Amino acid sequence: MALTSGAPPPGAPDGWTTNPSSWGQRLPIIGLATAGFVIAGYLALFQFDVLSTVWEPFFGRGSRRILTSRISHLLPIPDAALGALGYVADAVTGAIGGTERWKRRPWLVVLFGIAVGPLGAVSVLLVIFQPVLFSSFCTLCLVTAVISVLMIGPAFDEVLASLQALRRVRDRGGSVWSAFWRGTEEAVPA
Amino acid sequence: MIGAVAQAVAVVVGVWLMFAPAVLGYGGAPADNDRIVGPVAASIALIAIFEVVRGIRLVNLVSGAWLVASALLLGYPAAGAVSAVASGAALIALSIPGGERKNRYGGGWRAVFTGATEADRRGRR
Repeated sequence: MALTSGAPPPGAPDGWTTNPSSWGQRLPIIGLATAGFVIAGYLALFQFDVLSTVWEPFFGRGSRRILTSRISHLLPIPDAALGALGYVADAVTGAIGGTERWKRRPWLVVLFGIAVGPLGAVSVLLVIFQPVLFSSFCTLCLVTAVISVLMIGPAFDEVLASLQALRRVRDRGGSVWSAFWRGTEEAVPA
Repeated sequence: MIGAVAQAVAVVVGVWLMFAPAVLGYGGAPADNDRIVGPVAASIALIAIFEVVRGIRLVNLVSGAWLVASALLLGYPAAGAVSAVASGAALIALSIPGGERKNRYGGGWRAVFTGATEADRRGRR
């Protein structure tokens, strides 16, 4: 990924050494989101009483206590199910579009950033709730939190590229609104 | 590389804080404090491992400073206070260096707010 010399890869933004929309950059995020979906889906099945037990190697009844807590059922559907939906949103918004989507579909990249960022923040909040409110931990919940936070850095280079492209549209006197939805038509530097 | 390694070490410091109350045996406000600051600091550092968002590490200067201050304010037992001060000092030290840069990002986040300069476009960071 590091290119300290030579030409930037195809589709790289102005002044960048990488193309944040390349598949090499996006596939790991999609993979993480898929793993998050599988784990959160498993936890949701326990919360929906489809499964009667839940895997917990370290904290005894920790997972059970946390997954059946009031906080986890604060919303109409249990929190792990919401998390699973969030990972689907991450994977789908991460997968749509080609390798120039940072400038062709800024709305999609920003949506992707919104799906990844707040989901990560919520999972950190849930990690804090575990010991502070329930004096316990839930191993798989911690794993999904790590996955959520791990996606933020790799996802936000693409968001940065889109925001920079929109800024250039503004600096040229163009319509940021129109570019946000329809993309910018800037030429890739040769 | 040093930048990413420093953030990885900061992740370990944050995770330690999550388990310090259980390991060192204390509860109450000091334990809650560690269990709140720990995940926050670990998450900030885990994000900052990635070069494009390395700047967010500076938030952990606040996490570290608060830990040092809280060791005096929240009535930690001796072992817990040592842990809090050491963890806080470590977080501060690990959040100062940005590390060398491997990639260029067209001026980074600054370029979004102030516009890219000619140097940004040519590939200066």
